[in-house]
Amino acid sequence: MSSEKINTSFDALVIGGGIAGGESALNLANNGFRVLIIEKDLSIGGKMILLSKVFPSLDCSACITTPKVSEISRHPGITIFTNSKVKSIIKKSKNDFEAEIIKYPRYVITEDCTGCQLCEEACPVIIPDQYQYNLVGRKAAYIPFSIASPRVAAIDIENCTLCGACEKVCPTNCIDFTQETEEYLIKAKTVVVATGFNLFDPIKIPRFGFGSYKNVLTSMQMERQLAPTRPFNTILRPGDAKVPDNLAYVLCTGSRDVTIGNPICSQICCMYSIKQAQLLMGALPMADVTIYYINIRSFGKGFEEFYSQAKGMGVDFIKGKIGKITEKENGNLILRYEDINENKVKESEHDMVILSVGVLPNPDNATLFHGEELKLDPFSFVNQTEPLASPSRTSIEGVFAAGTATGPMDIPDSILSAGSASSEAISYLIKKP
Amino acid sequence: MNKKLGVYICHCGGNISDYVDVEKVKQAVENEEGVFIAKTTIFACGDANQKEMVDDIKNNNLDGVVVASCSPKLHLLTFRAVTERGNMNKYNYVHVNIREQASWAHSDNKEGATEKAILLVKSAIAKVRLSEPLYPIKISSKKAVAVIGAGVAGMRAAIELSNMGCPVTLIERDHFVGGRVAQWDVLFTTNQTGKELVTNLYNDLINRKNITLLTGAEVISNAGSIGDFKVRIKKTPRYIKEKCNDGHLLKAIQACPIEVPDDFNFNITNRKAIYHNFPSEYPHYPVIDIKNCTRCGECEKICESVDFTQKEEIIEIEVGSILMATGFDSYTPAEGEFGYQKFDTVITLPQFKRIIDLNDKKLTFKGKEVKSIVYIYCVGSRQIDGDNKYCSRYCCTSVIHAAIQTKKKFANIQNYHFTRGIRTYGKQEILYSDSLKSGDIYLQSYEEDPPVVLRENGNTLVKINDILTGGKEISVKADLVVLVTGMIPRKDNKVGALLKLPKGRDNFFNEIHMKLRPVETVIDGITISGACQGPKNIMESVNSALSAATKSFSYVSKGMLALEPIIARIDKNLCTWCGACAEACPFDAISVEKDENKDIAAINNSVCKGCGMCLPVCPVNAINLIAYSDNEIESMIDALAGV
Repeated sequence: MSSEKINTSFDALVIGGGIAGGESALNLANNGFRVLIIEKDLSIGGKMILLSKVFPSLDCSACITTPKVSEISRHPGITIFTNSKVKSIIKKSKNDFEAEIIKYPRYVITEDCTGCQLCEEACPVIIPDQYQYNLVGRKAAYIPFSIASPRVAAIDIENCTLCGACEKVCPTNCIDFTQETEEYLIKAKTVVVATGFNLFDPIKIPRFGFGSYKNVLTSMQMERQLAPTRPFNTILRPGDAKVPDNLAYVLCTGSRDVTIGNPICSQICCMYSIKQAQLLMGALPMADVTIYYINIRSFGKGFEEFYSQAKGMGVDFIKGKIGKITEKENGNLILRYEDINENKVKESEHDMVILSVGVLPNPDNATLFHGEELKLDPFSFVNQTEPLASPSRTSIEGVFAAGTATGPMDIPDSILSAGSASSEAISYLIKKP
Repeated sequence: MNKKLGVYICHCGGNISDYVDVEKVKQAVENEEGVFIAKTTIFACGDANQKEMVDDIKNNNLDGVVVASCSPKLHLLTFRAVTERGNMNKYNYVHVNIREQASWAHSDNKEGATEKAILLVKSAIAKVRLSEPLYPIKISSKKAVAVIGAGVAGMRAAIELSNMGCPVTLIERDHFVGGRVAQWDVLFTTNQTGKELVTNLYNDLINRKNITLLTGAEVISNAGSIGDFKVRIKKTPRYIKEKCNDGHLLKAIQACPIEVPDDFNFNITNRKAIYHNFPSEYPHYPVIDIKNCTRCGECEKICESVDFTQKEEIIEIEVGSILMATGFDSYTPAEGEFGYQKFDTVITLPQFKRIIDLNDKKLTFKGKEVKSIVYIYCVGSRQIDGDNKYCSRYCCTSVIHAAIQTKKKFANIQNYHFTRGIRTYGKQEILYSDSLKSGDIYLQSYEEDPPVVLRENGNTLVKINDILTGGKEISVKADLVVLVTGMIPRKDNKVGALLKLPKGRDNFFNEIHMKLRPVETVIDGITISGACQGPKNIMESVNSALSAATKSFSYVSKGMLALEPIIARIDKNLCTWCGACAEACPFDAISVEKDENKDIAAINNSVCKGCGMCLPVCPVNAINLIAYSDNEIESMIDALAGV
């Protein structure tokens, strides 16, 4: 680690480069403020850039995210640190925040990399690809995903064997193993927390068999199978690469469930599952899709109509909670459930099961601020101190929360919340101390 | 004539290349006249390809670019920006849609889709060869915003704009501010009352120098457009002087002999013709309801503040942007719908909320004590037969909260919820589990088999075939039946109509893009916020109000706006003013003006959208659409015809 800290200052510090952080940064920068985005991942765009299509408009998610991402990355008022982490933020006084930022090395000179992928071809190491949610492998020298921003290679140093193959083939000599972690000391006048959410890990519900039954997937894995940058170019079950023809969705996996410590509803799973069901019916016209639910929550603009459309297309909706999943020898899965409409416990067989996993708070929120505390709500989301009159205000004056940092929400609600956070940040910046 | 062209054919992941042979398209056009570079790309919109295009344009001095990809609605602006970064005039960029128009439309015929894509790209090349550099029309923008509607969303937006240093005119049709929220008692999640929330906002805004509040005020016309809206407002008087003696006024109200149903209490009580909604209602002095006033003069005798000489005023303002926060109406059930207006024990949710607020210690309705309450959900929402197909979003949480409040305030209440599946999304789920724990009973009807309200032996009964008990028929005796009515768009849409705001399928105002641009509209300079765009709770309304405030501010903050130059142009020599073009124009952008000795048509540059509706109706061919000249269009047709 280099010993010197690099000092620099901005008007606003935006933590998180997903759609909420990006929208906040654009609003601030378009009004003349200088913004720094801190993104812990290798690319900005958050989870939205990895989605297939969005409900209920069925716009291709990559197609509507990339122009936003590209607008953010080329805006003269916005600086982006990817692969970086907030070590601590301290509020010194009004309009005076001091942030210690750690920028991890990519081991690639970003400016020189052309994204030619020769290093990727040359690298002999294969490990699961986190951007494809482990459905396929990637190399240790790799471009995160095809529409990443920046679309620049990175070396996964933990898995790299230092064989040097990538260095030899790189046409611009941009691979640099001497890069070190850099520490920055950033001054900012306001902070927007747009740290997003984590997905529930269904390994915590052993009776669903995720991790041991090969044909039980998470909804994010199905999202990747349906995305334009999908790994297989069709829908396959991971167990035997068979094209499935009878799929089941298990809603509320990790939501509305006190046994795993998350009593609240995740707000998006019903709709993304209905969307995936519609896309699956397009991709696999002969397939049957069944959605097992407690309540269908199609509450937003155009959602109820979208739900009706899915029913009209032949998606089977069964009100009932799944008790247990068991795997047959052929890889098919038996779902034991209570059919509420018929008041009976039943079993059904499906050849692929998708767990509609819920939204959990980002644990990073607890450790961002030192000194004055950023208070969290009972569910560990960022606490909204004035949820009705000023929904983006937090326990620290001058710190505003955008998007799913404060709780589960879909894309338009995240955009509105980001608009709200950035407008309060702008007012805070304009008002003289 | 542009001679050095770059042509890019996009795979769109597989959205295009699964059906259109993009390599074949490239090969078919790379030798067209003027084409200097032809390439295919996985994602033309991706950052890496954008960089490559900029380099191509700069290194080769390209003077025209064509991208064949998705709809121009998605990426026209993206690629115009790319060409600009390459120092090329962005109007020498032509967008071809081979996704919606070729690959998706002809997914059953790959060869045909490819053939069509080739012709579309060739016609774009023909157009770009003839295109001319254009420059945005620069107009000045007034640094002021009109906010229409002073409910919570409108007030909050006004305060935020004022914080940003932007003068605001806040226009409220009613004589009091606060909209719906002023009518609610304890609010979820803060436990403050609606009145407190409204009071706080009112106190904050009323002393600000840059906010002008107009109550009893209605927008009656609008001329002009983004940057310079000329809004005329009719302000009806209160017939009460601003400085008045509270004691005298109260006596005056008592003295008024007229009684009319009180809107504020959703007609469950009456009010006088001189009235305020509640003692601390803002602005803090009453109004004379002149429609119902008989001019008997009783109030005048008691109170010196009554002033019947006040006159209606017409106020004209000029603003750069308009922010709509006109709210919603509550659904009114049809006569007989679940017994509404047929049985006197059947009321709506808003009426119920007022009753909780108005009763103290004991809950009574029409003189009878209420103990057993049935709530019937989704009345006017998610209709099987009616037009309101949408879910009203706020009602599940709202009614559960009201039911809990009822139990807290009054003893011996039993709540029965006749639902269609509870939708307490997100953290609101906790309210639902609290309600279950407190002993409320939840039942659920089958979609095609709603509950029935009937009267037997003087009792009101509600019957349901309940999903949750395996289809059992259950009957509950109710002292009060609350119809959980949803939000509907404002029935009076005068202001929306005069601003020409488009509506969605659900009849709420429509945004430009559902996902990423939820507060902007196709009418430049007008933003929408709160429940006028679709059902929302208070938090969601305020978030959208603040987002709209930021967008409206961005239209006016720089004092200058750059508009599209692709508009209609009148040939003064040919025009003989017949008026046909003005009639055809959907944006009111054409008027008549004097030119030397004759009348001719004139185009308002900042209103014209370049839609082209005026062109075909002109009998003397005096109108040209910039960037779509006859030459360009004919060359495109030739290319499509393979000439």
